[in-house]
Amino acid sequence: MSTTALTAAAEASQEPASAAPTGPRALWRTLRRDRAAMAGLVVVAALVLLALGAPLWTAIEGQNPYAYHDNLLNSALGGAPLGSFGGIGGAHWLGVEPQTGRDLFARIAYGAQVSLAVSIGATLLQVLLGVGVGLAAGLGGRFADALLGRAIDLAIAFPYLIFGIALLAVVPASFPRPVLLVVVMAVLGWGGTARISRAQTLSLRTRDYVAAARLGGSSTARIARREILPGLAAPVITYAALLLPANMVLEAGFSFLGIGVRPPTSSWGQILSTATTWYYADPTYVIVPCIVLFASVFGFVLLGEGVRKALDPRAANGSG
Amino acid sequence: MRTRISTSHPRTSHPLRVTALSIAAVSVGAVLAGCSSTSSRSSASSAFSAANCKGGTLTVLEQGSLSEFDPARLYTSGGGQIPALFFRALTTRDRVPGAAGDTVVPDLATDTGEPSQNATVWTYHLKPGLKYQDGTAITSADIKYAVERTFDAQLAGGPPYLRDWLVGGDTYQGPYKDPKGLSSIETPDADTIVFHLRKSEGGFPYLAAMTQFAPVPKAKDTGTQYADNPVSSGPYQFAGYTPKKQLELVRNKYWSASTDSQRLACPDKIDIQSGLDATVINQRLAAGVGADKYAITTDTSIGPTQLAQLTGNKALASRVITGAFAETVYLAFNTKKAPFDNQLVREALSYAVDRQAVVNAVGGSSLATAATTFLPNQSALGYHPYDYFPAGASGDAAKAKQILAQAGYPNGISVTLNYENTDDDGDGPAVATALQAAYAQAGIHVKLAPTGTDSDAFRAVVGDTANEPGLSLNTWGADWPSGAPFLTPIFDGREIVQGGGNFNLAQYNDAAVNARIDQINQITDNTAAQQQWGDLDAQLGKLALTVPLYFPKNLTLFGPGVKNVYLSEWRGTYDIAVVSVK
Repeated sequence: MSTTALTAAAEASQEPASAAPTGPRALWRTLRRDRAAMAGLVVVAALVLLALGAPLWTAIEGQNPYAYHDNLLNSALGGAPLGSFGGIGGAHWLGVEPQTGRDLFARIAYGAQVSLAVSIGATLLQVLLGVGVGLAAGLGGRFADALLGRAIDLAIAFPYLIFGIALLAVVPASFPRPVLLVVVMAVLGWGGTARISRAQTLSLRTRDYVAAARLGGSSTARIARREILPGLAAPVITYAALLLPANMVLEAGFSFLGIGVRPPTSSWGQILSTATTWYYADPTYVIVPCIVLFASVFGFVLLGEGVRKALDPRAANGSG
Repeated sequence: MRTRISTSHPRTSHPLRVTALSIAAVSVGAVLAGCSSTSSRSSASSAFSAANCKGGTLTVLEQGSLSEFDPARLYTSGGGQIPALFFRALTTRDRVPGAAGDTVVPDLATDTGEPSQNATVWTYHLKPGLKYQDGTAITSADIKYAVERTFDAQLAGGPPYLRDWLVGGDTYQGPYKDPKGLSSIETPDADTIVFHLRKSEGGFPYLAAMTQFAPVPKAKDTGTQYADNPVSSGPYQFAGYTPKKQLELVRNKYWSASTDSQRLACPDKIDIQSGLDATVINQRLAAGVGADKYAITTDTSIGPTQLAQLTGNKALASRVITGAFAETVYLAFNTKKAPFDNQLVREALSYAVDRQAVVNAVGGSSLATAATTFLPNQSALGYHPYDYFPAGASGDAAKAKQILAQAGYPNGISVTLNYENTDDDGDGPAVATALQAAYAQAGIHVKLAPTGTDSDAFRAVVGDTANEPGLSLNTWGADWPSGAPFLTPIFDGREIVQGGGNFNLAQYNDAAVNARIDQINQITDNTAAQQQWGDLDAQLGKLALTVPLYFPKNLTLFGPGVKNVYLSEWRGTYDIAVVSVK
């Protein structure tokens, strides 16, 4: 995922940023013509609505994500839900969880909050770190560039799932898990953004308008802010759009491995983790969260791809 | 922290054709109300015959079980399953279907021990003609040496009783540091051994079934390396061993069935594979393809997600043995810590508990029975039913609130629950979360505090009297089928271990109860003693020192080619030493 995203973003950065549509309004105009991106946007919007409105939706359903329902389970069959399709019905829209009887729709809606918050938070922090380091490397001296360049290589080469597991396991249980997840994912996953930012900065700093600004007496910080950063926007936004779904999968992965958020807080990865063993006895319990996770990631990928195309001058010219 | 390591034996004297299903079901049904047994023999082409069962290779699929084979360090109940294939102790469990399977019978000794002086002195005589795998004779001095080894700090890990019971046991350092030996174990001749205890212990014959009483020849003792290749006194010996992965056992030609009424030793070879996932073990046993046709497991029960497969498949369901190891999962209160020093608060938590949710969380009614008593529902432990704080199936929140108000908490209460952060042992996050949800309805706000990712890390916190949390989720199992080892470490005030390693989590110390425990320990008539233990449990139950949650059940699969499979009441599953593959 990150490798293809890297390539895609690198392609986006090959042409001068100024040739791409500038400003959010132009971006929106291009995006609107892209059906796939629009479909992705609809899915993402639905997901955001689901997460933000979780208390409302579950109130309409008349359920909450924590209440146990002993009476909805077949205790003799290991606590599998009574009724067909995992207990799906008017009272429980997506059925109930085996062994607990908790409402699956409510668990997924509240789980979406965790999923979104963690993946958005981690992506923002990754971009912040990555752009900071990339700018510093691109604008700093040869020594700073060599040092930061190696650090970026290290961050990219790091087996970060393994390191993430180690980090999440040693931090005391009292530390809030979602925050910890964001920090761990950001600290381990900023390398790609940094590399793109550095490359783009190196190419932008040789431009005439940057040289003009320097001759005009602008400080390095001012040049970074006024001249370089706007040029970084296109490739970085493109990369971030594709990073987000990857982070979503990673959060699910950590929770799946039991080192994500702690029970009774709901999370998609956690649901999938318990669901895997139920594929035979209660397939609905596996299929429903899988569809939700797949749709969300797919939606983000479509949207991200749309943004990439929209900011890619060649594509823009082609469709022009 | 009773580890269950399984061992088993066959019994030569019992019916040659074992339709274990019916026998086990009838006898169990008669004895155990809450613990039904429905086991059945596979309808193999030829019936089992003890006289004609020799041959073939038995495959054993395990999750664990292959990490420790030093007889001093093993912590088994009744000698375990796999260890009993090569370690014979003074006594062992009776390998018969039905309630008699909970009794102790002679193994190396001629009887289960002659008590004297109020059960403080126990004398054993060895059977004639006993030999090790190298053909040398087993003597009483070897058993004395084996018991003495267990006192060495490097070989710690076995049960604590020897140190507590034997005269001088509290200071003895083991034969390496103190070669003079322990004077409270006498060997007047090569066939006789006498144990002097500092107090009456009617249950000594049960302790003598543990591997600590299996002979170790001093000349072959390699200290901490002994576990890699122990000298066999049983029907099998090591042929190849990779710790935690694989153990291959072949026949010990010096073992004689004429001295051993408990192990049938039918297979010529036993191939034990460890480190497997529970799901994989169950799938392989269910499929029964290739060598797995002759496969069993001693440490894996069917999980909740596999139960559905059994309902639709009669042939598969007939290859399941249902039983229960005497074990209780419970909430422990530290009565030295507020607010649990207040009995009313403990009662409120007893009333509000949702046992149905807890049972479902660990796999439903097929895998667990709701518990209202601390002593498991087995007559061998003197089970005496009671339910002083009736919570119904799902908790009585109204009653709990009323009691809480009476205790001075009309607006509810906040408590922290410590538990082991893994669901592997049935006392982890799934149970804690279920408790939290039910308690919330009674105004008891539970903060979850996962403590350690395995039982050792959890015990390091909970077993430390100074830092023991107020409320914790624990499991307690029987070292042998008796109320004595079940109740004493938990409720005897003299068993409170300051620092680490404490099991009396209530930190309860009542002189009258301590005296009562001493009284019952003097009884050598087992049935009478168990009755008294049951009564003691019922008396202690009134104090709400624990909230019993459930008794686990085992549903153990076996391969379609395995014969003579029946429930061992002691182990709660079938016995490896009696099964046959021919």
